[in-house]
Amino acid sequence: MLGAVVVRTSAWAPGIESAAAVRAWIENPQPLAATGHPDAKFLPAMLRRRCTPLTRIMLTAAHECCDNAAQEVRTVFASRHGSINESIGLLEAIAASGRLSAATFSHSVHNAQAGLFSIASSNRQASSSIAAQQDSFPTGFLEAMTHLQRDPDRPVLLVMGDVPLAEAFAPLVDEPAASYAVAMLLAKNGNGPHISLRIEPGEKSIASPPWPAAFQFLHWLASTDSELSIPTPGRIWRFSR
Amino acid sequence: MTISCRLSKLGLVNALGTSHEEVSAGLFAGNQDGLVKRDDIVPDRSFYLGEVQGRLPEIPDTLVRFRCRNNQLSLAALQTIEKEVRTAIEAVGRHRVGVVFGTSTSGVSDAEVALRYQRERGGLAPGFAYDQLEFGGGAGFIADYLDICGPTYTISTACSSGARALASARALLELDVCDAVIAGATDSLCNLTIFGFSALQAISEEITNPCSVNRKGLTLGEASALFLVTRDAGGIQLLGVGESSEAHHMSAPDPSGGGAETAMRAALEDAGADASQIAYLNLHGTGTPLNDSMECAAVARVFGNELPCSSTKPLVGHTLGAAGATEAAFCWLALQAADLELPLIPHRWDGARDPELAPINLVESSHSSSPSPKGASLVATNSFGFGGNNCVLIFGRETP
Repeated sequence: MLGAVVVRTSAWAPGIESAAAVRAWIENPQPLAATGHPDAKFLPAMLRRRCTPLTRIMLTAAHECCDNAAQEVRTVFASRHGSINESIGLLEAIAASGRLSAATFSHSVHNAQAGLFSIASSNRQASSSIAAQQDSFPTGFLEAMTHLQRDPDRPVLLVMGDVPLAEAFAPLVDEPAASYAVAMLLAKNGNGPHISLRIEPGEKSIASPPWPAAFQFLHWLASTDSELSIPTPGRIWRFSR
Repeated sequence: MTISCRLSKLGLVNALGTSHEEVSAGLFAGNQDGLVKRDDIVPDRSFYLGEVQGRLPEIPDTLVRFRCRNNQLSLAALQTIEKEVRTAIEAVGRHRVGVVFGTSTSGVSDAEVALRYQRERGGLAPGFAYDQLEFGGGAGFIADYLDICGPTYTISTACSSGARALASARALLELDVCDAVIAGATDSLCNLTIFGFSALQAISEEITNPCSVNRKGLTLGEASALFLVTRDAGGIQLLGVGESSEAHHMSAPDPSGGGAETAMRAALEDAGADASQIAYLNLHGTGTPLNDSMECAAVARVFGNELPCSSTKPLVGHTLGAAGATEAAFCWLALQAADLELPLIPHRWDGARDPELAPINLVESSHSSSPSPKGASLVATNSFGFGGNNCVLIFGRETP
């Protein structure tokens, strides 16, 4: 059956900046704040200088989650928007001046967070960076399953995160504006709840959830409910324990 | 669990053409006519681009929110195999067919137009939707066009995206999440990548010249290559996947080629193959000084100096996110044509070997004077991306 053990989780959002704050949010879930990012002081200054808010948020959650396993895990970085805000900024720079910054360009790839995580933690394992519109979180979980399939003995670090879309295009998306990341260490075996996943066809039209699916997952994981359904346009992702 | 992973059908479009016949003819002849000189994009710079010429199919009105050049390229490739794809969907059910798509540009070229509208006239351009621009939209378009609802996602790991999409497609079949997967990649030429690589001083004024002492960088191109991937035996099989991260630098590979070597060795292990079973290697071969030196060193360590190798970037350009799938498609076309002997793809360059590079066997012509090693029948392709993301694939033809 499709699934994995959730060995450990961590999360970061503005004002939800410690394990205790995550527990408090789970007790009393609220919409997340739109903007804010951590210092990410654990990163060497040279790397940190180039980090966007999203990179700082995702790497902070990743850092909290992996402990001393950071060098050995495979990684999946999932984000709907990724570095698109930086790409929009670069397009505006080209339009204004006919040039762009080479360093900003090379840090605007969708796998920027994965690349910087690899450099910061000397991690030479396989890594994928994915995007799947409103399905990005559960699809990230599925992509993590594909890595466990390829290398069953090696845990996979899944990191899902986003920041609000740049003003130019923000009116085009129907989602709560939130800055956040959730990280989880997934393994074939180990201590922790075994979570199964099923994917079913669903309605095309869905209501926008009050907070991101990855936070819904954290809330469910701490509850006693046996199943969590995440409806996305055209699909229902069913997690069960 | 190891299963059959058949690359059952291939649709593609690139600077060499759209049909298998057109692309194969250009490929095995080493035709560079698809690369066209442009001096009207970046001020005071001229370079070649591998643009797809001719009219692309229009995105249907019902899917107008996905309208962009990237998706038009996908559609051009998809339409060539649409009948077989729809038959496969009919057979297994729309929820059992997934899409794993690679891109590094998505619809950025069309966002440029939308941003200009906003600057000049204010507000959002009519008809512009975020689905055109967002990375996940490239996969979403294919799924909605085919009306399927299996897992649908984009992998974007820069220049290894397309190779990685095929790796994940195989895993989805192994996990029994899907019975068929549309897998491949598309990238379209846009100001962002052209100005970006230009700012990195990575674009050659002349056509890219991989492994030459005179190499001065890459030539950019655009392409789409999409496969129908199934669990069937026979035909052309994806046999091995090897992956690694570099932990080195965002835009430069480890000069030792250590990351590339790890990925090549992992692909061989995954395929259960020996280096001597590889008959041809499609190099990443971007023509940048550092890529070629580290790649030749890594290839020589893994395969020695005899294995026939070539880069196809002098024929279609570096198609970035689409390169891994496009070069997998070139391997597919070679295997498909290999009735008696595997036709090799020539390495087009000025022939001026760089004495600093490890000597590897660059293919002179399609039926080379130095043929594939005896008993070798598999082919491999290297893809290395920004962020230090490497993926190597191995393919073989299975005679039932």
